[in-house]
Amino acid sequence: MSARGALAALGAAPLWLLAAAGVAAYGTVAGNYELRLLAIGGCYALAVLGYQFIFGRVGALSLAQGAFFGLGAYASALMALKLGWDFARSFPAAIALSVILAAVVGGTVLRLASHYFALATLAVAELLHILAVDWVSLTGGGNGLPSVPGFVVAHWIVPGGWPATLLVWGCVALGALIATNFSASLYGDGARLLRAEPLAAAAAGIDADARRMAGFVLSAAFGAAGGALYVHTLGVVSPEALQFDVMVLILCMAVIGGRNSVAGAILGALLLVHLPEWFRAFEGWALFAYGAGLLLVVIAAPEGIAGAVAALWRRWFGPPPLPAVPKTAPTAASGRPDDRAILAARALGIAFGGNEALAGATFFVRPGEILGVIGPNGSGKTTVLNLLSGFYRPDRGRILFDGRDVTALPAWRRAQLGLARSFQHGALAADLTALDNVAVAAGRARIADVLRMPGRDRKRRRARARASAALDAAGAADLAGKRGADLTASERRRVEMARALVAEPKVILLDEPAAGLSDAEKGSLRTVLRGIAARGIGVVVVDHGMPFLLPLAHRVICLDAGRIIAAGSPSEIAAEPEVRRAYLGGVPVA
Amino acid sequence: MNRFARFVVGGAALFALTASGRAMELPAFPVLVPLTGALALEGQSQRNGAVLALEDFARQRKDSRIRDEVLDTGSNPQTAVQAFERAFGRVRAMEGAKPRALMGPIDGNSMLALLPLAEREQVALLAVSGTARLTELGNKYIFRFFPSDVVVKAAQARYIVETLGRRKIALVHQNTAYGQSGNEELTRWFERLGASVVYRNSLPVTTKELAGVIAQVRDSGADVVALQLHSGSSALFVGQAARAGLNLPIVAGSALHQPSTAALLEPSELKGVCAETASAPAADDRPALAEFARRYRERFKSEPDAFALAAYDAVRAALSVWFDAKPIHISLAAGPIPGLAMPYATDGKGNMAHDAIIVCYDGSGRTPRIAKRYSRPHEAARP
Amino acid sequence: MSWAQIAIDGIALGAAYALVALGFVLILNATGAVNFAQGDLVMAGGFAAIVLAGLLPLEGIAVPGLALAPLVAVAGGGAGWLIAEIAYRPLRHRPPVAVFISTIAVGIMLQHGANGWFGAAERRTPPLIAGDALDLAGLTVTRQSLAIVATAAAVILLLHVLLERTQLGRRLRAAAEDAEMARALGIPVRRLTALAFALGAGLAALAGLLLANVYFVTPTAGLAFMLKAYIAVTIGGWGSLRGAVAGAFLVALFEMIAGRLFSASLADALLYAALLAVLLLRPQGLFGEAAGRRA
Repeated sequence: MSARGALAALGAAPLWLLAAAGVAAYGTVAGNYELRLLAIGGCYALAVLGYQFIFGRVGALSLAQGAFFGLGAYASALMALKLGWDFARSFPAAIALSVILAAVVGGTVLRLASHYFALATLAVAELLHILAVDWVSLTGGGNGLPSVPGFVVAHWIVPGGWPATLLVWGCVALGALIATNFSASLYGDGARLLRAEPLAAAAAGIDADARRMAGFVLSAAFGAAGGALYVHTLGVVSPEALQFDVMVLILCMAVIGGRNSVAGAILGALLLVHLPEWFRAFEGWALFAYGAGLLLVVIAAPEGIAGAVAALWRRWFGPPPLPAVPKTAPTAASGRPDDRAILAARALGIAFGGNEALAGATFFVRPGEILGVIGPNGSGKTTVLNLLSGFYRPDRGRILFDGRDVTALPAWRRAQLGLARSFQHGALAADLTALDNVAVAAGRARIADVLRMPGRDRKRRRARARASAALDAAGAADLAGKRGADLTASERRRVEMARALVAEPKVILLDEPAAGLSDAEKGSLRTVLRGIAARGIGVVVVDHGMPFLLPLAHRVICLDAGRIIAAGSPSEIAAEPEVRRAYLGGVPVA
Repeated sequence: MNRFARFVVGGAALFALTASGRAMELPAFPVLVPLTGALALEGQSQRNGAVLALEDFARQRKDSRIRDEVLDTGSNPQTAVQAFERAFGRVRAMEGAKPRALMGPIDGNSMLALLPLAEREQVALLAVSGTARLTELGNKYIFRFFPSDVVVKAAQARYIVETLGRRKIALVHQNTAYGQSGNEELTRWFERLGASVVYRNSLPVTTKELAGVIAQVRDSGADVVALQLHSGSSALFVGQAARAGLNLPIVAGSALHQPSTAALLEPSELKGVCAETASAPAADDRPALAEFARRYRERFKSEPDAFALAAYDAVRAALSVWFDAKPIHISLAAGPIPGLAMPYATDGKGNMAHDAIIVCYDGSGRTPRIAKRYSRPHEAARP
Repeated sequence: MSWAQIAIDGIALGAAYALVALGFVLILNATGAVNFAQGDLVMAGGFAAIVLAGLLPLEGIAVPGLALAPLVAVAGGGAGWLIAEIAYRPLRHRPPVAVFISTIAVGIMLQHGANGWFGAAERRTPPLIAGDALDLAGLTVTRQSLAIVATAAAVILLLHVLLERTQLGRRLRAAAEDAEMARALGIPVRRLTALAFALGAGLAALAGLLLANVYFVTPTAGLAFMLKAYIAVTIGGWGSLRGAVAGAFLVALFEMIAGRLFSASLADALLYAALLAVLLLRPQGLFGEAAGRRA
């Protein structure tokens, strides 16, 4: 193994050591000025780390991060000045206040699509700014409040300079730990899938609203923490802390650093705090040079500095090795002893803008049965799948699954109950490995998971083990370590199949699984599907034509223009004149 | 990869360029002013005045030169504090000793953040900010060479009530630190003088269309308008009020003495408008000030205003005691100091300037004439 | 002051905002990019007008601004083309947030370039048509207000004709819908996106020339225009030209009415509160795409 390989094996550890050594060396020459910049940089780093939760991981453009920063600053300052609280009390209180505001705001605006969400958060931020400026009796108005004490813990005043800077960076380290935990957790992987493929995430049982809210609330907490540290470092609180410029700065730091990287957040914050200072030599043109510098950096590294470094790393050292996961044997699904349907649709109907896509369809699937759904283009096949899995709400009719009426349940809830589905294009997150793409569906992750020591994520390990077994069953074991972005289309569909299976569903809905496959691949797909059915899982396969389904399905229903025109065994359907007419106007199908 | 390498090389070159320092032999006078942001206009004036003072000093004392170390404070406290630490760090590194005095930015919030630092470093901090609170915190290092709000608002209020005889005030102020601070002082003075504020409005800097405000002023039955606005909003109000035919006398804050503000308006729109200010170097015909104005115009190709003159006087005052053995903050507190705008003497709390003037436009041009001079208007007994 | 006067002033203000918002939407539609520098381009247009006014002999001309307008628009167009090549083109395949940052950076350069070159003082541009205000049925209408409304109307008409009736407009829309397909059809996508930026920036510069006469211009003036355009485009319907114009007038009228009834600070706050209400109750705006629930 070459030196390169040895370096790769060490991972990122030498980089961190180098960084620590650099900081220590810097520390020996640092005076008040350098420490000041370091402390301010730390406050912003915390805000940027928080911003990454909503902006990076959830993928929603929030414009309120500056407002949470300013709110934390004002809250902590006011508590210190008017209530005489020390930092140990005002710090968590400021965070709590921001969290409450985020919960209220998030509850109302998170459901909006991207640019509306952005504008709504902007409106909230501007309102907070106006409040700070005009509520003179509370906030001091435009003048703000002077003489904000430094960091006072119990009766000990943390001296300025090194101790205060270390306090700030201690908080940053804690924040970085939480952020890393989030990233390297089942919960975080679910957020990644949610950002990349929201529909697939719902099919994997991920509650999008809950995850977005968690991201938003976390961002607010971190933002307020940064603001509280900021105001005690600066010694005054004034409305400049709530201006839109702060938001723009945090956004730039996040993008320049890398919006999904913890190290990127810290780098971006430090860089953009120092850059205008470095350019002071340009005097009147310093900030012009800063703008030019910003432009250069974003063009040279559009994925952020961390992204560029990561890309380089991958090119030199290859992808990181996969952690070893023990395989668990697939548990046999409890086959229901009787003939009752596991999934049934009764008089299901839906219309889009006057066009009836499905008109009163009634059908069912039994456990261990393969139901084929065929029909020409536009007959409503995909509509049926979307209705069953919960992505559309029917205008009339009911859906019964495993004995309960699920018509009103959202897609993610149905997925959690055991109704799995795959997508035509193989919906995977590009930056997750195939193993992790499957693992997100294998366990129920909660936000509390991020508050734990690193390396002790049992939930994730178990999920990965089950994912590994599922990949085996889907014939995709060799793909486990490859990133989603590097998979071919048919490989993606196999991985998706594994994801659909990993949660041990009771029913699995497949959307044109055979499209684009060679005959040999079709054959092995049929074998896989038979194996799934043999485990007692109900299988619904949507497909264009008979050739694939004839040897496979137990029963077939045929749709045309939103109605079921025939139902029965495959041979019966093939002989049905209605079916032939619907498809090819009379020409016999194979 | 290639692009990345190019970026790294370019960045390194840029970094090397910016890290180069300036000539190291001369002692430095840090001038911390907002050159960007909301108060850049006043800050740029302030910088010009300070730089001119240092250049005049060099011209007069050919043997010794003190160079300026101008740093942008960005109109916000964070950048101001960073500028302070940087100035001190650099001067210490280059001269082996800390600066003897420094000029602070005109915005009150930044000054408030710098006060504890001046205390920590035990260095005289020259101020031209009018925010009253600066001298109420017991800091003995601040020296304000500009009359505080307490002084100029007294002049403004007294001119309205005593000279113009108006008692129903419409008070339009900016929703910034400057506007709110002035609003408080004016309100207090109107009460003392027996006038009543019948209308008040808090105006954001971004509000450009003032038809609604003007209509409200008209509806309120006020007989005079008192403004406490920055340059842009002042000009907008005066111009739109003139066009709307408001026909009330306007007595404004110092923004309306600034030649750059008057340049935005037609002389006919300025008729009947007055402003309080510490001084009006571009309009004052006293020989020393006229000479100052001439030199300023030549050097900076623009008209001087009270902020430039105040900065000039402040820096000259510090320079006059620079080579004393005592620290500058002791010398400045010792006795009266002459200045171009007015005589300066501390009141024990750091306020050095106690006089104000009212300038008025008569409609013939954009240069006002000095209508009234007040000496210590805030100390007059209750009328 | 009567409500009719308020309405007249509001229409002029709305026309000004419409010019800014239209440029914003043009670029948005053509490239999918949110141009954060739009407000700063308005500011730059104002300063460009001042520079050009200093170079040309405009004394005594009855329509000084009119003589400047084409020059300012062309200068703005040039700046827009430059922005397209430098800040958009290298990042067009990247996530859209990269273009946010690059246009933010361009805005910073414009703002601080103006601050370094011109200083921070407010400046005024010459009026489009010199002369006193007109008295129409007891209402005061300044010539500049008329000029702004006329210019906005002309621009809207021209844009409509350009985009709906000409081959160039069709190609622009094709390139916006599907750049790959358009390229395959032989449409010069690169030139057309540059053209879209040039048009958007030219509109902004023209707005700057007009607005700086009434409201003055200073290097920091850009952000306020950017915010107003953003709000107008969103409540009008994201991506809709009609919506941008309607939104602009709505914002202007709201400002005028709220400013007449309440204190200026409260009027500001009410605008944002109203915006929130619109977003929560009818997020798709007046004309635009439905936002609705996510899946």
